[in-house]
Amino acid sequence: MEQIIKFIQTYSLLRMLLAFCCLIGIIFANAIVMGYLERKIAARIQRRWGPMEVGLQGWLQMILDGVKILSKQLIVPKDANRFLFRLAPLLCFTPVAMVFVALPISRSLYGINLNIGLIYIIAMGSINVFSILIAGWSSNNKYSLFGAMRSVAQNIAYEVPILLSLLAVVLTTSTFDLQEIVKAQSGPIWFVLYPNLFVAFVIYLIAGCAETNRAPFDLPEAESELTAGYHTEYSGFAFGLFAIAEYGNLFIMASIATIMFLGGWNGPFGFLSGPVMGAIWFLSKVFILMLTMMWVRWTYPRVRFDQLMNLAWKYLIPFSLVNLLITALVVKII
Amino acid sequence: MSLTQELISTLTAMQVEAGETDYSKCGYHIGVHLKDDQVRNFAQAMLEKGFYLDFVTAIHVTPQFQIVYQFAKFEEACRVNAKALALDDGSIPTISDIYHGADWHERETHDFYGVSFTGHQDLRTLLLCDEDSDLKPLLKKEEKLLSIEGITRKAVENKDTKAEKTEKTNHSPEQE
Amino acid sequence: MATQTKFDTQDKHRFLLNMGPQHPATHGVLRVVLEMDGEYTMGIDPILGYGHRMQEKMGESKVWPGFYPNTGRMDYVGAMPFNHGYVALIERMAGVTVPERAEYIRVITSELNRISSHLLGIGAYVLDLGAFTPILYAFDDREDILDALEDITGSRLTYCYYRAGGVSKDIDDTFIRRTRAFIENFRTRIPMYNDLVTNNIIFIKRTKDVGIITADMARRYGATGPVLRGSGIAYDIRKSEPYSVYSQFDFDIPTGENGDSLDRYNVRIHEMEQSLRIIEQALDKLPDGPVYEKPKKVKLQPGDCSFSVETARGALTYYLVGDGSETPYKLKIRVPSFSNLSLLREMCEGMLIADLVSAMGSLDLVIPEIDR
Repeated sequence: MEQIIKFIQTYSLLRMLLAFCCLIGIIFANAIVMGYLERKIAARIQRRWGPMEVGLQGWLQMILDGVKILSKQLIVPKDANRFLFRLAPLLCFTPVAMVFVALPISRSLYGINLNIGLIYIIAMGSINVFSILIAGWSSNNKYSLFGAMRSVAQNIAYEVPILLSLLAVVLTTSTFDLQEIVKAQSGPIWFVLYPNLFVAFVIYLIAGCAETNRAPFDLPEAESELTAGYHTEYSGFAFGLFAIAEYGNLFIMASIATIMFLGGWNGPFGFLSGPVMGAIWFLSKVFILMLTMMWVRWTYPRVRFDQLMNLAWKYLIPFSLVNLLITALVVKII
Repeated sequence: MSLTQELISTLTAMQVEAGETDYSKCGYHIGVHLKDDQVRNFAQAMLEKGFYLDFVTAIHVTPQFQIVYQFAKFEEACRVNAKALALDDGSIPTISDIYHGADWHERETHDFYGVSFTGHQDLRTLLLCDEDSDLKPLLKKEEKLLSIEGITRKAVENKDTKAEKTEKTNHSPEQE
Repeated sequence: MATQTKFDTQDKHRFLLNMGPQHPATHGVLRVVLEMDGEYTMGIDPILGYGHRMQEKMGESKVWPGFYPNTGRMDYVGAMPFNHGYVALIERMAGVTVPERAEYIRVITSELNRISSHLLGIGAYVLDLGAFTPILYAFDDREDILDALEDITGSRLTYCYYRAGGVSKDIDDTFIRRTRAFIENFRTRIPMYNDLVTNNIIFIKRTKDVGIITADMARRYGATGPVLRGSGIAYDIRKSEPYSVYSQFDFDIPTGENGDSLDRYNVRIHEMEQSLRIIEQALDKLPDGPVYEKPKKVKLQPGDCSFSVETARGALTYYLVGDGSETPYKLKIRVPSFSNLSLLREMCEGMLIADLVSAMGSLDLVIPEIDR
């Protein structure tokens, strides 16, 4: 056993490959769990049962849906750009997998620890925009193009408040290393409990909702206006990849919130923050955040596009700038 | 009372043939008969009086199409039914620029009867598809086609209703 | 259904967008061709006729009782008033008297149907705005109405319940008990809808000042129903030309102020409350007696006759010309949504597409009713 571990530790390429395989598995598993929870919770919010037929409480439903979607054909529209059309779902999925590598799930459970982890994650997260743009443009469908246009504008607008609010934390800890940021919160007080960082947390959550295209900011796929937005023309597993990436992005969004504001893998008062318990703390915080976002999604109507833009440029960005300034002053004084 | 009387006098001043009818039998308060060149003036007058257009339709009778316009008022119970005879070639001036709602009603009538509304900007098919635009589904077959007298209320009945009307000064619409 | 659209787009920045015939926001097979400039709709051309069945021809080609089932198949969401208009028209033409109990039953069922129609309309409208949950709550309440109506009419949507001279089946104690239970339950549900939807900030932002219809516009286009009442005109056929026994009940006509989408939505909410009041009064006053007196053989006398009723969507007018036989010589059905939809072009030009969806949804369209 020790030899195997030593072997793996020696060959870092192999280690990364193994981690990557695990991560792909985690992303798929995450999509299945989240898909199931989303359907079940939506159903309960709407006073119905949700999936009930396959397995106990229908827990096998998402797996079967996955199998179904795998067996379906990817239909490429006649005048679509075939290469880009096929590239888009991969481009959507790959950055998600790459971000997962750098997430510190517990003290010793992570793919790779980068001293610029935060920058890496943000950079990878932005690639998502390209995939949506390419998907919308290459489909040769006006609704898809609308979705793509909206998505680009939305993502550009909301990346700014996300960065500014995260920068407040970086100013406090003076590091981009995610592990270090989590360790800085190992005391009784998580960053969310600082007033200025609480504001940053709220701004981050709102902007994160928009960044991951979740309701009430799901304009790129606004169903009643744009049928299905940028993935209108996608079928089969290409569509599946978009769905998986969406849940993956949601997970990443919630993870960053957890790491930056909610103490990451730290238990309350640093209680039980070992490698295993840490992972459980981390995942439960992430899932609570994700479930909250689902709750919001199934309650609110969708905002209009100009309102969405107003929210970003007129409220979130100025507020986060002011907040950043205050944080800088506080850090300087203390 | 006042509104119907006032309207009738206005219309009579325009040399339009208008008369009170029995609401409980006809479902409208004023019956109007128009000549084809009076249609637009009449519609203009109705708009100025604050009526809205309920519908436009046609009745296929000999010798000419009868075009029916029905108006009602938001503020008071006053329903006006106007009938105009189309010209020999089945055309009648449009009122779609006065009552914008008439646009679709006229297009529909054009679909179903082939009545052409002169001056209408846009007489594309509305409900029928383009391939069926020659169908004119509501035209009667020759053997079923009646003359205009065949569908007119009997004169005897009219007298009765008029007698009734004079008794009822304040006209309150009853249930059927 | 014209295949040619009106636009002759020369501007290279503009493009045509086909909304429908299959599109989530058109609630059926309506096609709206939009000339877009970015996300702004510069030109609107609604194209109808995908669900056209030529109901008027059917009415003219069979004896008048043969048209009963067709009346329920135009507006499948609020079919009762469509029944009502037709039978009341025949009664008016032939001078058929209706037992009082039947009139009360007509009012009760029509109002129940109006509530169920408004519930669906509100639910679908909020769905258009992106909130999924309220429509399922609305369906939950609507289910109670449909169950109760199914028991006495035999159908859940396309009713064929009224007859010239009464109604086809008497209501029983179960129906009355169910209706009373529904009223009690629904009174507690309306505040819930208000909390969930009406007072929601996003909902208000999406609907306020969107798709304004002025009183003048409504008059020119002949808009009726909640679409008109949202603009502040208290016009309701139940009040202005009271038919059946509506004159005996005490109810208000809710109106809006600005004529925007929010007002139209609010009018529908308040109308449901008023309908509850009417049903309650009708149940209290419900007389005993027969519910159907079969009329003698009715021949449609020469002459024309019209009858207007207030459906959930506005004024419905049946206009019938008789020729002395049992078959109508001419039957015109003036449906409310037809005129309401013709407003769309003037109301929505220059809007964002999201606002177009919001404004169009607030008209509460039922496409088979427009297409007939």
